[in-house]
Amino acid sequence: MLTYVLKRIGQTILTAFLAVATVFVLLRMAPGDPAANYAPPNPSSAQLEAIRQQFGLDQPIPVQFWTFLQHLFQGDVGTSFFFKRPALAVVLERLPYTITLAVAAIVLTSIVAIPLGVWMARRNNTSRELGANIGTIAGQSMPDFWIGFVLLILFAVNLKWFAPSGFDSAASIILPTVTIAILQIALISRLVRREMVVNLASPYLTVARSRGVSERALTWRYAFANAALPVVTALGTRFAAMLNGVVIVEVVFNWPGVGELVVNALKQRDFPLIQATVLVTVLLALFVQLLVDLLYPLMDPRVRLGEASA
Amino acid sequence: MSVLEVKDLQVELMATDDVIRAVDGVSFHIDRGETVTIIGESGSGKSTTAMALLRLLPDDLAVISGEARIAGQDVTGDRKVINQLRGRVVALIPQDPMTALNPIRTVGRQMTEAVRIKYPKLSKAEAKRRALSLMEQVHIRNPAKQFDAYPHQLSGGMLQRVLIAMAVSTDADLIVADEPTSALDVTVQAGILDLLLELQEQTGIALLLITHDLGVARLMSDRIHVMKSGVFVESGPVTDVVDHPQHPYTQKLLGAIPELGPWEDPALTEPSTYAASDAPEAGAPAPQPGSPNGGGTKGPDTTFVKEASHG
Repeated sequence: MLTYVLKRIGQTILTAFLAVATVFVLLRMAPGDPAANYAPPNPSSAQLEAIRQQFGLDQPIPVQFWTFLQHLFQGDVGTSFFFKRPALAVVLERLPYTITLAVAAIVLTSIVAIPLGVWMARRNNTSRELGANIGTIAGQSMPDFWIGFVLLILFAVNLKWFAPSGFDSAASIILPTVTIAILQIALISRLVRREMVVNLASPYLTVARSRGVSERALTWRYAFANAALPVVTALGTRFAAMLNGVVIVEVVFNWPGVGELVVNALKQRDFPLIQATVLVTVLLALFVQLLVDLLYPLMDPRVRLGEASA
Repeated sequence: MSVLEVKDLQVELMATDDVIRAVDGVSFHIDRGETVTIIGESGSGKSTTAMALLRLLPDDLAVISGEARIAGQDVTGDRKVINQLRGRVVALIPQDPMTALNPIRTVGRQMTEAVRIKYPKLSKAEAKRRALSLMEQVHIRNPAKQFDAYPHQLSGGMLQRVLIAMAVSTDADLIVADEPTSALDVTVQAGILDLLLELQEQTGIALLLITHDLGVARLMSDRIHVMKSGVFVESGPVTDVVDHPQHPYTQKLLGAIPELGPWEDPALTEPSTYAASDAPEAGAPAPQPGSPNGGGTKGPDTTFVKEASHG
């Protein structure tokens, strides 16, 4: 178990390194000169050159990367061109907003999608289930920025229930959360439904029914306990993806999270800030993935005892 | 009063654009301590009959009519009736033990659950004690260890013993055994059948046995109903049906049992025939395909055996 965790941590570090290295190189190969963003209007070539020198962008890319690594090992991810502050600190300031939004979205998704999926599986092939099924297909098909704008127009502009954007109060989280959750609910409830239909029709369930086990216990303790593994995996993957910045939704709602930060950093060619964002979110996503993988053996004895019986 | 009393039971299965009458008016009864067997090939409606009695067929797929009384209560109407009987008055021993238990719960936990459905007042510890003694009763070695095992850690035969123990744990009046040995190795089958006989002797339980195997039926039953296309073509005490089959279908079933006869290798009985020529002549009895000991079986209808054993 310990070796497994150590191996996974090693993999995590390697993946994060590769991700950051890729972003580092791609940023510098992409068109656009950061210096132009930070120079006074109509800069002279000398002024631009001075800024490039200041940012270390005059060096060849391998040299830049080597310097970056040296600083990284000292815990210095670089200084934001725009904020003139350590990039890591800027990212960590924004991170709680993204984590809050991601947690809220995944909680809302779970508490709606799981009962909905179970209900659809139990009412399989009835007209009401068909209605719910069409609803989930619709939810799956709507782009999130569009849902975001519709909710904004409806609830913020017309009904004025919420402030249209930014983070003013606890209520500000509702619209972005709902926007993210609609797509996730559609996806996860369909997964739950599919897994539940299989498990509800399996022989062990019929035999348990013949033993007088109640329908409620059959649904949850039998079928859902077995269907839960792929569902938890999917929820974990979705959550990890959200931590990488729910970019579009954050931009639509002007939510002060990492996604919104990274969009602005890209516009401003703020290389260190982009690199810091990628590093932090990749590590976080990999950590969540590791936690989900560590949940497997707790949920399924066949995984837990796999080594012993094989 | 019979433990099970079935009168003119019909089961119609709803196919996509067709209605199949899988069970077409069967009537039978089982008294306490009796074993009644329904025998037939796959598709004859024998398992459908059993599943219909336990109401394990989905309502949108199967329409049941007629009358079936378990311990006096008609189970063909409101599902509430069977819900009160399952796991308390009637129990099932399933066909394939390997897929019959929840794979992510220990065997013991599922056993104590079964015990506590019948006896809700028992504490978990008491239910566990009862489960362990039942495991001993069905001859599971080292019950304490197997109690904490997961289904995938036990063999098919062992799982079937667990499932039999669970059925017995309910002190049911009636056990429905749906092909209880079909999915097991031949070497394990005899042990399971012995166990069922032994438990029936101890408890006086009524047993409805579903099988395609006439050998099993002959060993276990008091009475036999031979089923074909949803109806009983022949019914009677086991000795009558087996020894004096009236219906051609029963005769065919009986003919399907490969029986070891005396060794009749023509090479031994007529050495001169083979000595005279190297190759077997056209007229010489050739070894029959499908029988392991060549010409040593008596009149087997091997194609039928194959069909029937896919039960």
